[in-house]
Amino acid sequence: MPTLVDLLARVSFLAAMPATAGIFVTAVLLVVSRDWRLNVTTLTIQYFFVVLLLTRLIRLEVAAVKGLTGWMICMVFYLTERRVSVLEQSEATESTRTSRRRWRRWIISARASFCLLAGLLVSVAAYTAALRMPLPEVPTDITLACYLLAGLGLLLIGLSEAPVQVGLGLLTFLSGFDLFYVALEPSLAVAGLLGAVSFLIALATAYLRAAQIAIGGEMRGL
Amino acid sequence: MIAGPLLLLIIPLAMAGIVYILLRWMSVSALLAVGTALALGIAVITLPMDQPVHVWGGRQIAMGEVVTFFGRELVLEQSDRIAMAFLFLTAAGIFFLAWRVESHSLLLPMGLGLLSLLSGALLIRPLIYAALLIEIAAALSVFALQTEGGAPTRGGLRYLSFVTLALPGLLVTHWLLERYVLTPNDTRLLSTSAALLALSFALLLGVVPFHTWVSAVTGDSVPLAGAFVLTIGNGAVWFLLLDFLETYPWIRGHPRFESLTSAAGLAMVLVGGLLAPSQRRLGPLIGYAALVDSGAALIALGMNSRLGLTLALLSLLVRPFGLVLMSAGLSGLRVRSGGDDDFEALRGLGWRAPWSTAALVFGGLSAAGLPVSAGFTWRWALCRALAPSNPGTALLLLLAGLGVMIGVWRGLSALVMRPHSAEDRSVVPLGYPEGRVMAAVEAVAIVACVGVGLFPQTLAPLAARLAEAYTLFAP
Repeated sequence: MPTLVDLLARVSFLAAMPATAGIFVTAVLLVVSRDWRLNVTTLTIQYFFVVLLLTRLIRLEVAAVKGLTGWMICMVFYLTERRVSVLEQSEATESTRTSRRRWRRWIISARASFCLLAGLLVSVAAYTAALRMPLPEVPTDITLACYLLAGLGLLLIGLSEAPVQVGLGLLTFLSGFDLFYVALEPSLAVAGLLGAVSFLIALATAYLRAAQIAIGGEMRGL
Repeated sequence: MIAGPLLLLIIPLAMAGIVYILLRWMSVSALLAVGTALALGIAVITLPMDQPVHVWGGRQIAMGEVVTFFGRELVLEQSDRIAMAFLFLTAAGIFFLAWRVESHSLLLPMGLGLLSLLSGALLIRPLIYAALLIEIAAALSVFALQTEGGAPTRGGLRYLSFVTLALPGLLVTHWLLERYVLTPNDTRLLSTSAALLALSFALLLGVVPFHTWVSAVTGDSVPLAGAFVLTIGNGAVWFLLLDFLETYPWIRGHPRFESLTSAAGLAMVLVGGLLAPSQRRLGPLIGYAALVDSGAALIALGMNSRLGLTLALLSLLVRPFGLVLMSAGLSGLRVRSGGDDDFEALRGLGWRAPWSTAALVFGGLSAAGLPVSAGFTWRWALCRALAPSNPGTALLLLLAGLGVMIGVWRGLSALVMRPHSAEDRSVVPLGYPEGRVMAAVEAVAIVACVGVGLFPQTLAPLAARLAEAYTLFAP
């Protein structure tokens, strides 16, 4: 049975512009979407592309561990949101109706359009920055990926005050920085501490999301 | 032989676990937390650095020993001793107040965990690890800041965001400076590092326009946890800044260091002084008071002299008296107003919570730097030092203090508004409406604040000793 490292080695042909393009699409999706299922899936895919790019800068095993940390973070978000869904199940019939409507609203809503436009503008800025201010020690496509992740992560933090959105923004921003910093400081201790930071951010975000649901439940009970 | 620095990391962390398990028995857990912080604070300042101390079973503790922890060095230097004693003793004070005021929050176990991380940040070399530990501490503090059964803390989330944004600058600076050692002709590396450091510390200290997390933390979080972040967390950031200035002397020799630091401080004083009197809630008011205090400390550092450094350090030692006391008062008042700290919701509450009101007022006096309070000791000295060369800044500092006091005064007028019964007659409860223990705890804190204000010689020599431990601005 192939190991995770073998699997990463097999898809290493994607670890250039295709991975950067994947990062662009996933990061923009995170900015636009408010659907938790889509967000968790997108974040999982984004970590996959980040790991692919990381394999060009650090040892495959270390990149795989970073990927595992990222996917554990996605699991934290999934379990939290799943629990939220269970709590909201009492209003299932109504929510089925509203979710259909919400989906239609999501396609054409002013918020989604604004977020998409802002995301595209930030991406253009990231592209220009990658051409004019290349980061040291990393190739151009990784520079672009770093700027995209950092810029769109910042945008995500700025666009919402909801714990999950801010958490996703912080994690996206940190992924961008991590991608750059591993080239400067390949120390395992730093890699471990940065992983711990990301995991704690995910836990703190999940804790605040749980608090949000608890107070929502109390208010519904009143 | 047991290495002292390692104990300073492990003991609080182990006690955090024990305190969390015992959280159901509030008095026991509070006693353990206060005892741990107090014992470590006293130990770090009294145990000798140059020789091991015999403890139980023939074991020895060596405080001055350099320890290697996961390949990194933990070094307890002279300057770190007073700094760490400050962190531990302030935490002991906060835990003592939390015993009566925040009886069901995660502040006690999380506070001990934070103490371990922040101690690590002060002890570890190289400094990049300190930045990472401070970031982890920020993520952990969200759990302490979140109110039990309350809406998600906006302040905690913002604090975490700003600390995360500050992290890359600190880490990359370290790499740039290592590169500069190899290529000393490339001065662009120095300029980039200076810019990154300035931006990172501006984010961490809440310099305008990155100040929004300060008032948010005090606005919607557990008040004493907010005070913990603004005194102990911010204190650790200040000591990290001084460590950076000590390690890289070219930063303070930069032609723009003085003007940039003073301008940043002035902006904080201005914004805090203008916004404090217009607040309609006590929580954000405490945040703006903290902003003025931090700004004044930056102005002191911007003096680029030994006196300025001593005053900045004295401000750190004195800050808890104002902010912690105000937060304890706010906590007591929020309990009686159903969690609301709007002036409308607090009308007449001062009669039912006189000790909390007194704590708020005396804490406010200290945060504003007005007489008969701890804050006056350093703020007055700063104004006197600034007056000959920079009278405008000194006047602005006084006015900002006045602005904070106007805010506190407005809160006090709402609090002491006489309640009326249906028959329109005054109804003021007699006795101890807040309980004798609560009254005693808050009275002790108020007496400590006034005591330091009346006898500044208790803390000023400590600040002077701490300043001497740094070679910054040495004559």
